[in-house]
Amino acid sequence: MLLEVLTALTMVVGTFFMVVTGIGLVRFPDVYTRMHAAGKAGTVGVALLILAPSVFFVADQPFVTIRGLLAIVFQFLTTPGATYLLAHASYVRSYPVHARTEVDELEHWLPTYPDDQFGHE
Amino acid sequence: MSGWFAFTTDACLLLLFVAAGLCLYRIVVGPQAADRAVAFDSLSSVIIGMICLLCIRTASAIYFDAVWILTLVGFLGSSAIAKYLARGRIF
Repeated sequence: MLLEVLTALTMVVGTFFMVVTGIGLVRFPDVYTRMHAAGKAGTVGVALLILAPSVFFVADQPFVTIRGLLAIVFQFLTTPGATYLLAHASYVRSYPVHARTEVDELEHWLPTYPDDQFGHE
Repeated sequence: MSGWFAFTTDACLLLLFVAAGLCLYRIVVGPQAADRAVAFDSLSSVIIGMICLLCIRTASAIYFDAVWILTLVGFLGSSAIAKYLARGRIF
């Protein structure tokens, strides 16, 4: 009974974070803010959703719990890294920021290549 | 498995379908390739969550290996698309 309550709690919170990720992907105006939604809320949501079967199977199948915790660690290692790589690539490729962006701190630090003068080797 | 627990699992699965629909909307209409890559990344996260809820709903852990596979493939796909966007080639 206690395990079911804990599993339901992690399931509901993780699903909430995944729906928030989807709403952010649809509603945010440019690619960087969409990465903000997908990189943070998505990571926490999928970690909680993997934690739910880890809690649920902890009594009768403990190896599932070990694999689930390792999968959470791997998600926390990879998903922000992939989001960082995509953000760096889209800034270098000079994808436009939203018109209401006030501070662009990478302006003088990172070279950008527009699409027409993109280097082909 | 008690009744309210099965109902909660089904409701969470339906909400995850809604989240997958929102990610698919961004994949279809996203103006740039990076938008589609980000949306694909979170779509793979949503599918990982669906597999976890399927494990709980059927009370069997035989689908749990797919979580590993999807984690690996989603990360490799996103980083490959990012390297292609930044350099014009992957390797």
